Amino acid sequence: MTVAATAAALRRAGLGGITGSPLAFVVVLVAMALLLAVPFAHNGYLNNVFRNILMYAAMAYGWNLIGGYTGYVSFGNVTFFGIGAYSAALLSAHGIDNLAADVVVGALASAAFAVVIGIPVLRLKGHYFGIATLGIGLAVSDIVANLDALGGTSGLAVHQVDDAHFSVYYYAMWLVALGAILGTYLIARSKLGYAFVAIRENEDAAAVLGIWATRYKVTAWAIGAMMAGAAGAIFAPANGFIDPSITFATDANVFPIAMTILGGIGTVAGPFIGAVILAGANELLQRYFVKAHTLFFGAMIVVIVLVLPRGLVWLFGLRGGLRTWAKSLTAFKA
Amino acid sequence: MHLLAQDLVNGILAGGILAVVALGFSLVWGIMNIINLAHGAFIMLGAYITYELFTVVHIDPFASLPISFGLMFGLGYLIQRYLINWVARAPILTTFLLTFGLSLLVVNIALIIWTSDARGVTTWYSGANFTVGTVTVPWAKLFTLIAALAITGVMQLWLVRSKTGRAIRATAMDVGAAQLSGVRVAHIFAIVFGLGAGLAGVAGTLISLSYALNPSMGDPFLIKAFVVCVLGGLGSVQGALIGGLAYGIIEAFATQLDLTIGTQHISGSGLQDAIALVVLLIVLMVRPRGIMGRATA
Repeated sequence: MTVAATAAALRRAGLGGITGSPLAFVVVLVAMALLLAVPFAHNGYLNNVFRNILMYAAMAYGWNLIGGYTGYVSFGNVTFFGIGAYSAALLSAHGIDNLAADVVVGALASAAFAVVIGIPVLRLKGHYFGIATLGIGLAVSDIVANLDALGGTSGLAVHQVDDAHFSVYYYAMWLVALGAILGTYLIARSKLGYAFVAIRENEDAAAVLGIWATRYKVTAWAIGAMMAGAAGAIFAPANGFIDPSITFATDANVFPIAMTILGGIGTVAGPFIGAVILAGANELLQRYFVKAHTLFFGAMIVVIVLVLPRGLVWLFGLRGGLRTWAKSLTAFKA
Repeated sequence: MHLLAQDLVNGILAGGILAVVALGFSLVWGIMNIINLAHGAFIMLGAYITYELFTVVHIDPFASLPISFGLMFGLGYLIQRYLINWVARAPILTTFLLTFGLSLLVVNIALIIWTSDARGVTTWYSGANFTVGTVTVPWAKLFTLIAALAITGVMQLWLVRSKTGRAIRATAMDVGAAQLSGVRVAHIFAIVFGLGAGLAGVAGTLISLSYALNPSMGDPFLIKAFVVCVLGGLGSVQGALIGGLAYGIIEAFATQLDLTIGTQHISGSGLQDAIALVVLLIVLMVRPRGIMGRATA
């Protein structure tokens, strides 16, 4: 079967629609299956690199639900990652070293925070919501840095398993990423997903159709928070140490957004594709261009955005070649 | 009591710089719907232009204001015209990512040219100050504030009175209608982005008088620009001024705060950003479009 025929068959099977290109989704699932093999290489460096990719993917999916599907661009999702990480560190400080407990507590704590903050903040629209979330993220980071109970700026040590079992963190992160991918897919195909998209496209019209916007917006944010929180809860013990500058890092805030936009915003496959490409490229550049890697990284983002302003997933649905591509560019003529 | 007066003065002096920092950012965002994440990098470039002019050619920082404005205006115009315009009508997040990439690029080129060593611009009046009652005022910061007020005033006049200013405001209201009326939108957008970059350059020049220079110096100012322009109201000149002064004063007072909760001691100086941001959240709850913002239909 040709690629086009496969895509058509998938579409007939009911895949596609607001989930984005079905072919891209299949590619993501195949890639995830391949990623299961990474720990068999018994290479600590590779484990770390791919665990990071999966971590960023989970965070990108968390952002995609609110920023991509619901259209509320949050600049503070790193807060949920941090809350997850600190929950795990606190559990460890109280003698509880159980990854499943870490993930559950981290995800629930993040979701609870999202609900409490979301009810007032999600009333704000557009830019103003973005700034409010940026403010919350920075304020939480500042407050954590000033609380001795959380280690202040010097951070907290987190108990780790011995080296022989280290790949447990890898598989845990893999499961979280898979959960985020499948969760997004199921949501996008359910009434919930259509409600999110309706809010994104026109909130007033959605309200007229009987969609209680605030409730759905808070739901989207809280589910996204769980994805980031779970990733943070595994990151803390895997890293062995956390402090505010690691867990609330600007990179951890901007990367998932950049990955989602690059891959394809509001699609099921986009965040994963973006995460693999950006995190992977960042790692390779760091390795081969010790001094100028960030420069090349920046240049790469600029070029990709200019050539593919609608994200990489868009390539999967491309028909008509160059002419369609030229139409995707939206320049003003002089 | 004298501490209170000193804080107020410090806040106003810092607020003047913040107003200029936010002005260019706010214009670009409000008029073109572009969140320019390279604004901090432009501020840094402005500071280094001043530094080079001061150390190599011995031009006073205040005299270099027009030069850093001109150079940065040119750079901004070219970037908008030949890079960002490619994706001008794409969703806001596309340009958001594009300027993020640009910022990484500019900062890292600066790192190669100037390294990460901290540098400073020390003029003959750098350490000088005068006292009024119990309040100490550094001359350099006072001049900075006056320059900042003058720049905002000129910007406001130009936007309201000049033909280009009118074209800019028309474009901000409705791109299609402006095009139909003969406004060359691509050119106007490039001018606005150039203005944003030029004002960032000016802000960098003013900042170089009171802060140390390094290639990542723009980052904290970028975040403050975000807060200030929302605090005041997006795309408004007066809004940037009022937001900047408000932020400066809040921050100055927050530094003096000392909290003791149980055994936990929290000093205000570590929390000044957090406090300023909490104030921002409260303002947004009460006035969702900023202090100077107007409700739209």
